[in-house]
Amino acid sequence: MSELIIKNAAVCDPLNGINCEKMDIAVKDGKIVESVSSNADTIDAKGKLTMAGAIDGHTHCAGKINVGRLMSPHDMRMNPVNGLSGLQPATSVTRAQAGYNTPNTFALGYRYSKLGYTTLSEAAISMMAAKHTHEEFESIPILDKWGLTLFGNNWQVMNYVRDEEPEKLAAYLAWGLRATRGFGIKVVNPGGGEAWGWGKNVTSIDDEVPDFDVTPREILVELAKANEDLNLPHSIHVHCNNLGKPGNYETTLDTMKIMEGIKAARDRQVLHLAHLQFHAYAGNSWREFESASTQLADYINTKDHLTFDMGQVIFGPAMTMTADGPLEYSNARMLHSKWSNKDVELEDGAGVVPIVYSPKSFVNSVQWAIGLELALLVDDPWKVMFTTDSPNGGSFVNYPEAYSLLMSAKKREQIIETLPELAIDRMVLPGIDRELSFYELAVMTRALQSKMFSVDTIGHLGIGANADIAIYDIIPDKIDAGIEHEKVKQALSATSYTIKSGNLVVQDGEIVSSPRGKTYWVNASGRVPSEINEVTLKDIQNNFRKYYTVAMSNYVVDDHYLPNPIEINTQEA
Amino acid sequence: MNVITDAICPFCGSLCDDLTIKVENNKITDIQRACVLGHNKIAGVTDHARIEAPLVRKDGELVETTYEDAIERAAEILVNSKRALSYGWSSTSCEAVSKAIELAEETGSVIDSCANVCHGPTTLAVHEKGSPAASLGQVKNRADLVIFWGCNPVHAHPRHMSRYSMYAKGFFTKKGRKGRHIAVVDVRETDTAKIADTYVQVDPGCDFMLLQAIRSAINDNEDVIPEIVGGVPKETILELATMMKEARFSCVFYGMGTTQTRSKYKNGDAVSSLLYDLNQYSKSVMIPMRGHYNVTGFGQVCNWETGYPNAVDFTRKFAYYNPGETGASDTLLRGDVDAALVAAADPGSHFAQEAVKCLAKIPLIQIDPYHNPTTELADIVIPAAVVGVEAEGTAYRMDSIPLRMKKFIDTDFKSDEQIVTDILEKVRELKRGA
Amino acid sequence: MQKVTLTLREKNRIPIVADSITPDNFAGLSDRDIEQIPVWHGNSQVFLGDIFEVVVDGSDTAENVVIEINGDVSRIKRIGQGMTAGEIIINGNVDMHCGCTMSGGKITVNGHADNWIGCDMRGGEIEVNGNAKYYVGSGYRGDTTGMTGGKITINGNVLDFLAEHMSGGEIHVKGDAGLLLGLANNGGTIIVDGDATMAAGEMKKGLIVIKGTVHEMLPVYREDGTEEFNGETYRKFTGDVNIRGKGTLLIK
Repeated sequence: MSELIIKNAAVCDPLNGINCEKMDIAVKDGKIVESVSSNADTIDAKGKLTMAGAIDGHTHCAGKINVGRLMSPHDMRMNPVNGLSGLQPATSVTRAQAGYNTPNTFALGYRYSKLGYTTLSEAAISMMAAKHTHEEFESIPILDKWGLTLFGNNWQVMNYVRDEEPEKLAAYLAWGLRATRGFGIKVVNPGGGEAWGWGKNVTSIDDEVPDFDVTPREILVELAKANEDLNLPHSIHVHCNNLGKPGNYETTLDTMKIMEGIKAARDRQVLHLAHLQFHAYAGNSWREFESASTQLADYINTKDHLTFDMGQVIFGPAMTMTADGPLEYSNARMLHSKWSNKDVELEDGAGVVPIVYSPKSFVNSVQWAIGLELALLVDDPWKVMFTTDSPNGGSFVNYPEAYSLLMSAKKREQIIETLPELAIDRMVLPGIDRELSFYELAVMTRALQSKMFSVDTIGHLGIGANADIAIYDIIPDKIDAGIEHEKVKQALSATSYTIKSGNLVVQDGEIVSSPRGKTYWVNASGRVPSEINEVTLKDIQNNFRKYYTVAMSNYVVDDHYLPNPIEINTQEA
Repeated sequence: MNVITDAICPFCGSLCDDLTIKVENNKITDIQRACVLGHNKIAGVTDHARIEAPLVRKDGELVETTYEDAIERAAEILVNSKRALSYGWSSTSCEAVSKAIELAEETGSVIDSCANVCHGPTTLAVHEKGSPAASLGQVKNRADLVIFWGCNPVHAHPRHMSRYSMYAKGFFTKKGRKGRHIAVVDVRETDTAKIADTYVQVDPGCDFMLLQAIRSAINDNEDVIPEIVGGVPKETILELATMMKEARFSCVFYGMGTTQTRSKYKNGDAVSSLLYDLNQYSKSVMIPMRGHYNVTGFGQVCNWETGYPNAVDFTRKFAYYNPGETGASDTLLRGDVDAALVAAADPGSHFAQEAVKCLAKIPLIQIDPYHNPTTELADIVIPAAVVGVEAEGTAYRMDSIPLRMKKFIDTDFKSDEQIVTDILEKVRELKRGA
Repeated sequence: MQKVTLTLREKNRIPIVADSITPDNFAGLSDRDIEQIPVWHGNSQVFLGDIFEVVVDGSDTAENVVIEINGDVSRIKRIGQGMTAGEIIINGNVDMHCGCTMSGGKITVNGHADNWIGCDMRGGEIEVNGNAKYYVGSGYRGDTTGMTGGKITINGNVLDFLAEHMSGGEIHVKGDAGLLLGLANNGGTIIVDGDATMAAGEMKKGLIVIKGTVHEMLPVYREDGTEEFNGETYRKFTGDVNIRGKGTLLIK
């Protein structure tokens, strides 16, 4: 079968403790192996920086993004990042591409691959529309994907939490993951989405959810416990209450603290906080708005039960999209912008609103700083996942811009100088001189993801790993990223080679082949006793009979939608 | 006997998924719970005039041929065209739509769906203002006010009212119809209006004016509203506004009475703007009453595959979108396409005469299960299986909820998806040869 | 001074996209150079020389280039797109998107213009000595900013959606306008000498003057006395009240 040897690679592989060491990597049948025969194809990496394929652990790449596309045909023509945005014609290898914040599926696959990404975690599968997410997954070429299923405002979840039925709760979650072919449990503004069914919201983890007699705190804790009972590969993945509001860091701290007592079923966090930047605001009003990254980082530095991702802001146009329906309505009113909303019966909501982050705006400037502050103030990179919450904080095609900000204090300084004085007063970034190494960047973009999602075949280059490999045009020991930040940014914007499952997909920044990716899903049904499963199914059937507008049999995602599945069974783990 | 439960009806955008179909010896013997429209469509698979074999026009007459021959000729027409139009694709599966988009890209064609003459303006409105929407179950479970604006579900979406809107009982709506106020805004007193609690008669083409007036009332700008707007007295306008403000959850269902009348997409835009303000006081959403069962699905697939929901022009190899220029009727009225592929649609009866004249002049390929007026204009006719009866596939309900349509009976006809795949293969073969 | 004369060889039915016809692109080029500029004719690429007879007199920089186009170019799109200087004179009807995104120079159409003339215009001048169709001086689908600068004069009538999302510059229509002109105006000036229907919805700021009759006044404006404009007295309306707009609508 197919064999490949990559020679003279400067390998940066934190999971195996390898820090930019020169070595060869052998690939056979899509996996990394000890050695290959002399017939193997050869790539001479010539000392270039070589990492495992990157993993975007929180991105909006399938499903709701289509609402964003529909709202912004003008986005298709935007071309602020050369080679990675705008309208591009079809070629003999690639389909036609379009877009910047909301690119078409083909562009998503090609452009992520050019950046050296090989796996995506879609941040939110709406249960009832899960087929839609999987249809888009199938249409995104090259990359492997999975999605996190929304449970935080689900009637059946809230009923079981209120009625103190943890076993049924776990059974329902296992059923829901199977029905949606989801990977893990996503919680977005717990309780707030249900309140939004009546145009309302919740404002703390102890507010009561209208009509359901539960609080966000109870939903969060019970879901976290059930998550561990099911031995899921990922922890609960939480978008806290009060996103985007001044003073919200206290809600964020509350959310972190209530998880301290949860016992992890696996060697990973019990809580992942999504896009922490949007939840790290101090001040009691927009006038008083300031960074609370110190308060959050101080806490995170003393605890080991959680991870978070940055939610870095990129200056310029972006598209916010979230299951947090009430937030998006208030965004739209505040920004006087277009507004899309999509409540889903018994389950959750969604909103999509365009935004422009301006370096002239004091609030936007502070937001830009907070993401970087969080990543730099938290000492342990194994707690920090790199994201822009694409495209909420900015399109993924800007990742190299953000990498270079993390790696260069000088570059940060140059930008800070141009920001409004008021903004500089309200941030702590100017006092931070830490510069991330390639090793730390590899942790935040690959290695951590492998651990936090418990997928041991990706995110590293050890024997047996998938041959997902990114080779960048950088000789690591011959570059000072702090000074040559522009060069770093350019090199990380287009790989010399991206290899996906052993196939060469990018060469010299251009797509050379476009194989289909795979879709992961988690089967936790083996953890549910059959008698519990039976009574839970009765409740599910009851909800379908009385309240849903589709039949249960038509709701579940069947095998047709996952032609290349990878099933992770939590019983076997 | 084979009994298929939870079967999905391939007729309108309501996509009812609770049908029971009985099949004996590959014949449908019983159809339960379908409305008369759905029943006719499913039963009609054997009753209506099917195209029995592939046809090709020779000396003015359509004569029988093979699938291979028809597909090869179709591919030749497309390869030789400078700007072909691919149109329809709303009564077929998303899988077929995906292939059709690939074919359009490969042949440098324009592709558009039936939304062009239906709810296309709805998407134009979303470009402007977004769409404050919800799944139909939110209406069923929560709505105490439902407004049908320019639509007549009694005739066009018969089971919509019992399943989702007027009569549906849900968690917070246990009284069903009794606990729900129904208002109809229309130019004539339709059968839906007759069973509503409030009927507001608006002058033809004045929906936009009326929507603006209601918005002014919602925002406490009553003083700018004249005594009569679009034939509706100010008093009624204020009552409507109060009704909307005081509802706990309201939904505006809007139909072609708003999208295809004067002001077109600006009407949908105005509904969206109205709800943008109304939601400060009361939860309110809007849902388009989509006609063809999968016209929504075309929009979804086209949007994720090309970046645009319809009317995509691939003549320059990248996706170019500009309804008014790249829509099916735009191109046919200007006569600026030189070939056409029409699938699962009947522009021969639904388009303006000038557009039909253009279709008559250019090489026309038709893919359809049935004879229709478009067949009379076609040069190549390729018969297809009926999706949702003889072939399975994905469709999206009017609220963008995806469902997988089932196959009830076997057929020798190829599916749309297979036909397009075959044409695409042939096109690539011809291009390689050239 | 450089004069370029393009004479259409044969009228086309399938549209040609000729965004390369600008003074910027032609400056300093010979007839042979211009003949070899590629353009799209449907899905195939052809050359300007296939479409036009090209005569060049002189050689100069863009601001001193005058392009004269003869023949019925009503199926040739995007003439003058993005031009920054110089002049284009079209002696005939012209197809869609003429002068879109232009930021300088002048286009004169001695005939009728199709849709989207001057769309996304940034500066410069367009004069049409006939009628124009839909979306004169408007923005692209989905964009909330249309024309931001420059001047468009239409000496005949225009159809619907004139100047949608305009946020700067001036448009003067000497005839009548169609439905819903000046929607979402955010700082532009629009003057219509003739009649208009449902004018000026969602105006944030800017000035719209209708000298003829306004059919169906939108119920979103508050009357606010009178105002003089070019020596004539108009009723003054302020709105759109629903977006707390500060736009001025002057009507008779």
